Order: sequence, then structure tokens, then C-alpha cells
Amino acid sequence: MSDIVIRDVRRCYGLAHALDGVSFTADAGKVLALLGPSGSGKSTVLRLIAGLEPVDAGSIRVGDELLSSPQHTLPAEARRIGVVFQDYALFPHLTAAENVAFGLAGLPRTEREQSALNWLDRVGLKRRAGAYPHELSGGEQQRVALARALAPTPRAVLLDEPFSGLDSVLRAELRDATLQTLAEAKITTLFVTHDAEDALQAADKLVLLKAGRVLQEAAPRHAYDAPASLEVAAALGPINVFAGRVLNGAAATPFGTVFTPHLPEGAPVQVAVRAEALRLTPGSQARVLSVRPHGAHDLVRIEANGGAWRVLTPARTPLGERVDVTLDPAGAFVFQAD
Amino acid sequence: MTALDPTTASLESATPQSVARARRLKLRLDGVTAGAAIAAIICAAPAFAVLVLALWPSDNAAAFGGALLRDGAVGTLLLVVFGGGGAIALGAIAAWLVAACAFPGRRLLAWLLVLPLAAPSYVLAYAYAGMTWAGGASPVALTGIPGAAFVYAVGLYPYVYLAASAAFARRSSSAIEAARTLGAKPLDVFWRAALPLARPAIAAGGALALMEIAADYGAAHHFGLTTLSTAVFRAWYAHGEPQAALQIASALLAAALVLLWIERSARGRASYAGGLTRAHDTGRYALSPVAGIAAASFCTGLVVFGAALPLAWLARLALLHGQVEDILEPLGNSILLAMGGAAVTLVFATIIAVVARRAGAIGRIGAYAAGLGYAAPGAVIALGALALFGLARDAGWISGLSAALALTALVWAYAARFAAAGVQPIDAGLTRLSKGIDAAARTLGANAWRRLARIDAPIAAPSLAAAGLILFVEILKELPATLILRPFDFDTLAVRAYAYASDERLLEAAAPALLIFVAGLLPMLLLTRGVLKSAR
Repeated sequence: MSDIVIRDVRRCYGLAHALDGVSFTADAGKVLALLGPSGSGKSTVLRLIAGLEPVDAGSIRVGDELLSSPQHTLPAEARRIGVVFQDYALFPHLTAAENVAFGLAGLPRTEREQSALNWLDRVGLKRRAGAYPHELSGGEQQRVALARALAPTPRAVLLDEPFSGLDSVLRAELRDATLQTLAEAKITTLFVTHDAEDALQAADKLVLLKAGRVLQEAAPRHAYDAPASLEVAAALGPINVFAGRVLNGAAATPFGTVFTPHLPEGAPVQVAVRAEALRLTPGSQARVLSVRPHGAHDLVRIEANGGAWRVLTPARTPLGERVDVTLDPAGAFVFQAD
Repeated sequence: MTALDPTTASLESATPQSVARARRLKLRLDGVTAGAAIAAIICAAPAFAVLVLALWPSDNAAAFGGALLRDGAVGTLLLVVFGGGGAIALGAIAAWLVAACAFPGRRLLAWLLVLPLAAPSYVLAYAYAGMTWAGGASPVALTGIPGAAFVYAVGLYPYVYLAASAAFARRSSSAIEAARTLGAKPLDVFWRAALPLARPAIAAGGALALMEIAADYGAAHHFGLTTLSTAVFRAWYAHGEPQAALQIASALLAAALVLLWIERSARGRASYAGGLTRAHDTGRYALSPVAGIAAASFCTGLVVFGAALPLAWLARLALLHGQVEDILEPLGNSILLAMGGAAVTLVFATIIAVVARRAGAIGRIGAYAAGLGYAAPGAVIALGALALFGLARDAGWISGLSAALALTALVWAYAARFAAAGVQPIDAGLTRLSKGIDAAARTLGANAWRRLARIDAPIAAPSLAAAGLILFVEILKELPATLILRPFDFDTLAVRAYAYASDERLLEAAAPALLIFVAGLLPMLLLTRGVLKSAR
């Protein structure tokens, strides 16, 4: 198995750049998440890697083999790269088993059917082998699509917003099941999502995209703890932004200072403070506006110095009407403002 | 190292403009796409040949072509104005009544109103002629331009009716509701809201009706009129002037292309005007009993004159005077020819439709090429095919036009003429096939042919069957191209009906005309099912 290397890839539609010099590496046998808002070009990246569209500049390689360059596009049907499409794109006139068997055209008939059933079994759908796509639920369709993509033992599998069409309970369950299947298959995986939670929990590596450019390529923990920009920090969880200037090697916020050894004195900066990096204790510094449940946390909105802030506290933390606020510098990041 | 890498060398200079330019020059060619390109060339070649050869310099053709061309153009123009105008008015009124008013029998009439499309104009003309000649049931004889205009109006109004009722029912319903809440009376609503909103749809349907009128040979010939279509035949057969015939044919083709352009651009506007509001059953105007009966009578009248009366009269004459042995041979010829022609045309249409769906430039060009053939009247296509065979003979590639070659030319003409009629329903059937499904099949290693056989064709199977039936019937009804290209002594139903009618033997013409009419009703049943579905 080899890495997939994307280098300086550009792609235009009409006169607009959908991708503007994108580079990253998907490591062999690992799960990579492409995270970005809609219109960031993340689905375009998948289509280029799958060979469904040519690149306008740059290159895509698997190991030593060139898949795409402006002069050369290995056709999608010759790439051996599986894709799970956002709408699953199951063949409506074929049963689940026939869908999975479609990519096994080279095998003898019995072997093909056996292999298709095995793959359906691995995604827990053997008993639905004879069902047509319209008879399957959304989650079942997604699993058939996954089995279909994996059955021809591709070099990599690409998933486009694989969990987006599903409700939140099913989503977490299916995400774990999908990751389990992919881990067993030990296959290089790229998946596209706009959901930070999916990306952080499922991926070995994150690539954050915005407006056709890579903002950061890093392990989830690293991207979360050391975001390369304000946009990256905001993409991975709720933050508070505070504008100020560097004074004596530190940026001041209403709740404490953050050291900025690498920024020049007097430079205008923006400080991003993660919502969970603020700690609240009963006191007088800020006024509590509202407390709302937010999963295992409470989302508390407070007002201090004329500004509103968002804080995540452990659920059911007793707070009065006024609180004191302390800042954990590990969850605060300073970026030079333009 | 990067400087030496050809894949990054172009990065610096890759502006969106330069990329778009470079991409236009690159065409992906697989087997299916190449097939579509060949099909497109075959479909467009006859019409193209007419245009090119008509401009070829020739000394004595100008005078003949000039006089006949002028008279033919005037005749076609008159028929377009009176026959086409009548068809547009009748179709628009019927559509408004069915879409916006409540009257007895409305639901039934909504689909009966489509039936006149089953009969080609020449069959209607023979039926009405039979009525005035034999048995003398009709008080007035249909003759000349008024007669032809009447036949076109009652036979072709469904083109306008179909387009306009879709527009009335769907797109303009919210605007009509708005007009009603503002206090507009029914006639006000029709003139000031519904009609202007439906105008693009009416123009598109009207253009189709006018194309049929311009292309018609059988009815115009029967009424003894000089039109561009009949002038082509006269120049070719009576005057023996192929160059003049080609010149007249090119004028006819130009007129048809103008109409095609009107139809395309109007249809484009019709689909945008009014946005995407969902159809919902707007309250219909409850008509007073008298007005309701008037509306029902109007619609019934259209069905009677366009379909029921001619059909009944032909059936009567055929039962009284038809002889089985007389139509057995042309019936067999018609069925064989229509089956062969439909099979070839269906293959072309399928390949073009599939490639157009896959968003290939060649597919779209192919669809246009097929559209060119569909706009071109049968006489033009036949002349073009004949001219190309003539060139091949002059070049020594073939000797003379044997029966087999004539049939080949005829099937070619059918494919060129009707491929677009097949592309449309197949394309509609392929809407079930999202682009994602084609992409999924590609990522699973399926090449172009395997995708065509395993994905596109099975998914579009019902549409393919419908397209096959439509093509079969269209070819069965076709007259002018068949007249020009058929081998000697090879009669089809259409040719036999025409031959009898030309000899004023209208009693004998009834049986083959009736069979053509009945065959034409088959796809009507399919078509109206779709109409009913969209009306709900």
C-alpha cells in the first residue's frame, strides 16, 4: 500500500478557482478527514482523486504512479479507487448483492456472488442481500454503498459526507461501525465532512480546507491544540474572539493575558479563546445571561466589559447571577491581525 | 527539482481563462462517445448535403427554381398563416378551458383532445375528401387553401394544446391566483395574466405545428396546392430539375430551422418563466350551465373534427370497400420497414441520449444534429440522401440504386428524420440516472460500453420501449421520404393510400389510411398517460 500524494492541485469552474493550489498527503492505511464549509472545494478534491474530473494544474500520485496531471488523467474506471457517494448512488435496478457484485466483473459468477455476500455480511446486511435500494433505509443504503466500494479491494476508498443524510443517533452508531469496517479492511481512507466532531473523532489526520486552499494539515489533537489560524480554531469548536495589541510580549484579554513571544511589540492581534478554556466560579466579574444544556456540558453565555462570551462548563455546575472568570492559556491562541 | 517537473511547470501560468481554453480543445473519446459522433454525422448528413449542394453553381436551375420557389413560398406562407393560426387559436382556447374551467366531461376531454395527433395530415385530408366524394355526407366540399387550412387546424392544434395546458396548469397558477385575489374577472385573467404567462409555451407548441405544416406533402398535394414541399417534388419529377429541387428544399429547410430556433428559444423561456412553484389544483371557474355546455361542445367539436369523424368515416369506407388482399402486401412492407427503421433509429437515439446525459460535448452536438434532421421535412432528407448516393455513384463507389441500396437510403432517411423523436423520451427515462450513478459505475471499473449495457439501458428500459413504439409509428406514417426513396414497386400503406388518393380512388384509399390512423393511436395511449399524470 502507498500514500496518496496531492501536490499543487488546481481546478477551475468557469472563471472561478474551486481549488487553488491544494497539497496534502493521505498516509497509507490511515483515515484522513477533509474538513471544510460548503463551497470549500472538499468534494472537488474527492472527484479529482477518483478521476471523475481532470486537474487543471498539479499532480495526484499513488506511490510512484501518476494518476492525474494536466496532460494525463487515468480514467476513473482504471484507478481502483472506491467511492461512497453522498447520495450513495446505488444502482436502482439492482439488488443490494448485485450492487456489491458490480465491481467484481472479472471474477467467475459463483465467486462474485460469494464475495458480495461476504461483504454484505461484514457490514451486517447479509439478510438484506435481495432487497432493492428503495426498500432499504438510509443507514442500510450507506452500508451497501460502503460494501460496494470495498468489495473490489481498491487501493483507497473515498467517502463524500458519509454520515450527513442520517439522524444524530444513527449517525454516531454508523460512524463507529464504518470506522470499524475500514479499520478491519486496513485501507487508505479519505472522507469529506463539514462536521468537526466527525472529523476529530474519526480521523488520523485532518486537512482543513477553505475557499479552495488548505488551512492546515495536522493530526486532530495538534490541529485542536495548535490551530494555524483563527479560521482553523473556529472550525474545530466554539471560540470567543478578542481583538487587542501585543504589550510587553503578551496580549491582554478581559480575563487574563496570553504570552506572544513570536509577535512584534504593538502588533494588532486577535485572540481566540476556546469556550471550555474559560473557567467560571461564583463571584462578581461577569453577569450570567443564560445557561443551556449542551451534551455533557452546559453552554453559558456571560457578559463582561460590554462584551458577550460563550463558556462550556461541566453540566449542572452551580453558578449564581455573577461569576468570576479565569482563562486557561492552553486553550487560547493569538494570531496577528491583518 | 520542481522546475523540471512538467506537472508543476504549468502551475504559474494557469489562469482560469487559459485553463478553460485548454480544456475546450480536449475531448474524451471512448467507444460509446465515438458511436454518438458517428450517429450524429449520419443524422445530419442529408440535411447538410442539401444546403451545400443547393449552393453549387448551375446555369439553368435558377429560372425553374426561381418561379417554383416563389409560388411555393407564397403557398407555404398562406398555409402557415391560416392553418397554423387556426391551430394556435384552437389549441390555446382548448387548453385554457381544460386548465381553468369546470364543465361536464372535462377530465375525459382533457385526454381525448390529444387524439388528432394520431393521424398525419394526409390521412385527415383523404378522410374529408371521402366524405364529400363518396356517399356525399358533407354539405361543404373541402378544397384549396381553406380546405388545407381546416385540416391543419383541426389536426395540429394538439401541439399547442399540450404545451399551453402544461403552462396554464403549472407555471402560471400562482400568478393566476394573485390576479383573482386582485379582483380580475375570468376573461381579464385570461387576457392579462394567463395568456401572457403561457405565451412562450404557446409559441413553442405553435412552432411545432408550423413545422408540420411546412413539412407536409400529402395533404398539400391532395388539395392541389403549390407549397415548398410540393414544389420540391414538381421540380424533381415533373421538370426533372434536381438542382432546382435542391434549391427549393434548402429554402424549406431554412424555414424549418427558423421554426426550430423559435421553438427551442421559446421552450427555454417557458421553463424559466414563473419559476419553480409547485402545481396545485387552483379552484376552477364554475361555468354557468349554458357556458359549460358551450365549453364542452367546443372541445368535443375539436375531437370530432380532428379525430372521431375522420376515423369513423374511414372505418365505414374501409369496411364497405376495402379488400384484404389489396392491403396485405403494403401492410407487410410497412411493418418490416418500420421495424427495421425503428431498430436502427433507436440505436442511434440511445447512444446520442446517453452520451448527452454524460455531459459530453459530442452528445450535445449529436442531440442538435438529430434535432436538425427532425426539423427537416421528409422530402428534404430524402433528397439529401439521394444526392449523397448520387455523389457516391459518380465517384464509382456504387453502381446505380439497387433495391437494397434504396432500402438502405430509406432507413438512413428515417434515422436522420426521427432520431430526435427517440432521443427525447429516452432522455426523460434517463433522469432516473443521476450523474452520481454513472460516476459510481466508473469508480467500480465499468467502461463506457458496460455502463451503457448494465446501467443506462436497464434503467431507461421502459422509455426505450416507448421510444421504439413512437419511432415505429412515425416511420409507418412517413410519406414524402418513402415516396422518393422506396425501391420500384415497393408500396407501404402510406404510399398505397397516396397512390389511390392521387388517382381519385378515395374508396380504396380508406383502408390503408385507416390502418395508419389506428397505428397512430397506439403511442397516443402512452402519451396521454403521461399527460394525465402531469395534469394531476
